[in-house]
Amino acid sequence: MKKFRYLLYKDYLLLKRDIAGLLLMFLMPAVLVVLMTLLQESTYRVLKDASVPLLLVNKDKGELGKAIDKEIELSGIFKIDRHIKGKEPTQEQVEREVAGSKYTLGIYIPENTTETIRRNVVKYVMTAFSGAEELPAIDSVGFVIFIDPTTKMSFSSYIMSTLKERTQKIEFEYILKEITRQVNEISPIPISTAGFYGDQVVIDIRNARLEGKDMVPNPVQHNVPAWSLFAVFFIVISLSGSIIRERQEGSFSRLLTMPCSYTEYLLSKAVVFLIVTLLQFGLMLLIGIFVLPWFGLESLNLGSSPMALILLALSASIAAIGYGIAIGNIANTFHQSSVFGAISVVIMAAIGGVWVPTFVMSETLRQISKLSPMHWGLSGFMDVFLLDAGIKAILPECAAMLFFGMVCFSVAITFNYRRRLDV
Amino acid sequence: MSNRYAIETENLKKTYKGKTHPTLNGFTLRIPYGSLFGLLAPNGAGKTTAINIICGLRKYDSGKVRIQGRDISAGMKQIRPLFGLVPQDIALFPTLTAYENLKIFGGLYGIEKPLLEKRIDQLLELFDLTESRHSFINRFSGGMKRRVNMIAGMLHAPEILILDEPTVGVDAQSRRMILEKLVEINRQGTTILFISHYLEEAQQICSQVAFMDNGSIISQGSPEHLIAEHNICDDLESVYLLLTGKRIRDNT
Repeated sequence: MKKFRYLLYKDYLLLKRDIAGLLLMFLMPAVLVVLMTLLQESTYRVLKDASVPLLLVNKDKGELGKAIDKEIELSGIFKIDRHIKGKEPTQEQVEREVAGSKYTLGIYIPENTTETIRRNVVKYVMTAFSGAEELPAIDSVGFVIFIDPTTKMSFSSYIMSTLKERTQKIEFEYILKEITRQVNEISPIPISTAGFYGDQVVIDIRNARLEGKDMVPNPVQHNVPAWSLFAVFFIVISLSGSIIRERQEGSFSRLLTMPCSYTEYLLSKAVVFLIVTLLQFGLMLLIGIFVLPWFGLESLNLGSSPMALILLALSASIAAIGYGIAIGNIANTFHQSSVFGAISVVIMAAIGGVWVPTFVMSETLRQISKLSPMHWGLSGFMDVFLLDAGIKAILPECAAMLFFGMVCFSVAITFNYRRRLDV
Repeated sequence: MSNRYAIETENLKKTYKGKTHPTLNGFTLRIPYGSLFGLLAPNGAGKTTAINIICGLRKYDSGKVRIQGRDISAGMKQIRPLFGLVPQDIALFPTLTAYENLKIFGGLYGIEKPLLEKRIDQLLELFDLTESRHSFINRFSGGMKRRVNMIAGMLHAPEILILDEPTVGVDAQSRRMILEKLVEINRQGTTILFISHYLEEAQQICSQVAFMDNGSIISQGSPEHLIAEHNICDDLESVYLLLTGKRIRDNT
């Protein structure tokens, strides 16, 4: 044990003197978590804060114009302008403004749109009741929507379907009114359709919840654990680098001629880096709780099981340390380990849902993401943050990470034994 | 084999994976207790492999290795404290001070703290490094690094000291000091295995030398005896060139 303390002392001193490595391990994730959370939050805010600029010109004084106008206002996603320099713009002006990217959307509802629809409906109903086989000639109705070419297709489709739905509803109301009027003219018993708007079917879209808890994390709940895991796995560069440097400088060979085993040598590194990773987790959680609210973001709610969080942090750390030790033993040079280590961690992060949450990924990518140890960790943290899960619920994720760490550790020892002793 | 020798190898054979030619091919070496023994060989002769095997850093295919009569195949745990290795590379932590390096290496040998501090002070004094004890290794000159490298292998006062080219890349003053200290340490009873390319150094300080080539020992004896045996030679270097040839060896 006394000898092991000297190994710990060595690894502590080496780490303490590696200023660049320490900055990489602590400053980089701290900056990333703040930056990425703010970026994601601002993306959500575009939709939440009624900030899609819309130029709306409603020349129609009838019900359709009013209904569309009201619908757009109620949607809450638009910042509506109706005039340019105090004047109602023409259709050409609307197009110019949208083309100049001043507005994302321009809607031009021409005069008498409602009246034209009403007239067309009357013609249809009259023809139907007269028994004539030929359809009547109808006046065309059209309003124009200008969309900024850079606008996402999904967004313009959403706007189009909303407007189409609204106009169809109004057409339906007119048809119903006109049929009622015609029937009442020939029927001895008057009928009434007042108050019938065809809104019996109510579609209620909700986010799926489990036991009353939200399943989709907010940007803080996603980014804090995600970038914590990224930071923890990024220690592979420092850890594998220190193993390779000691091997290349010869101090490793000297250590092996001393009364200490290779397992002790690795364990010492593992203990020192475990402390680093736990400090990283602590720092990131503190940023989530105290720093992110300074930027107008929600404070991180840690759930109700601190033990589950500790177990997750320990398991993720062991997985990352095992991975770093394996790379340090397999790679021949520091260059190899730093390039492979960095790229593999970035890939693990990308498929594991660190950058883009897995719930917005395609099904194929969601299946692939299950291969990443960062996904296991993130999934555990989501259970704790969103579902108030305890230790029992996150045991599968922890077991997977611990198993991964142990496999890496075994690979490292076997690889080193075979290479070093040439057996 | 007997325990008359501090280090004894017999018919040691080693062929690296993927190689057809053996690196060690019947390597037999006997280093008597208390000797200052020089192992001299051209590049690629297999001396580093031999040293690594003796120190338990590499496996061997067949043969025997004994340190003070103990077979290393039975395990290195009891054997490791018996010897100190001073590798050719500066096997120190460059971002640590000389004192921190020595404290760690001494601690790993299990030396108690008060004794370790006393020993570090003595050896730093002996090698004229007391003033630089708290300087970082990466700011040391080549000669200073070599001296700290030597101290690190001697902290636990080993009975056997193995030095792999300890004077490479140092100035004349440092070289002289290192050689003088080795002789002094040997006089105090430490068996020294000294590996060098500098034949005049070996002739100057070694009580016995062995020439190695193509994975085995080709000649062994005191420098005087070897020179006398080859009466056309007037120094060790001439004997060495006579036995190993003048062809340049490149280590691959």
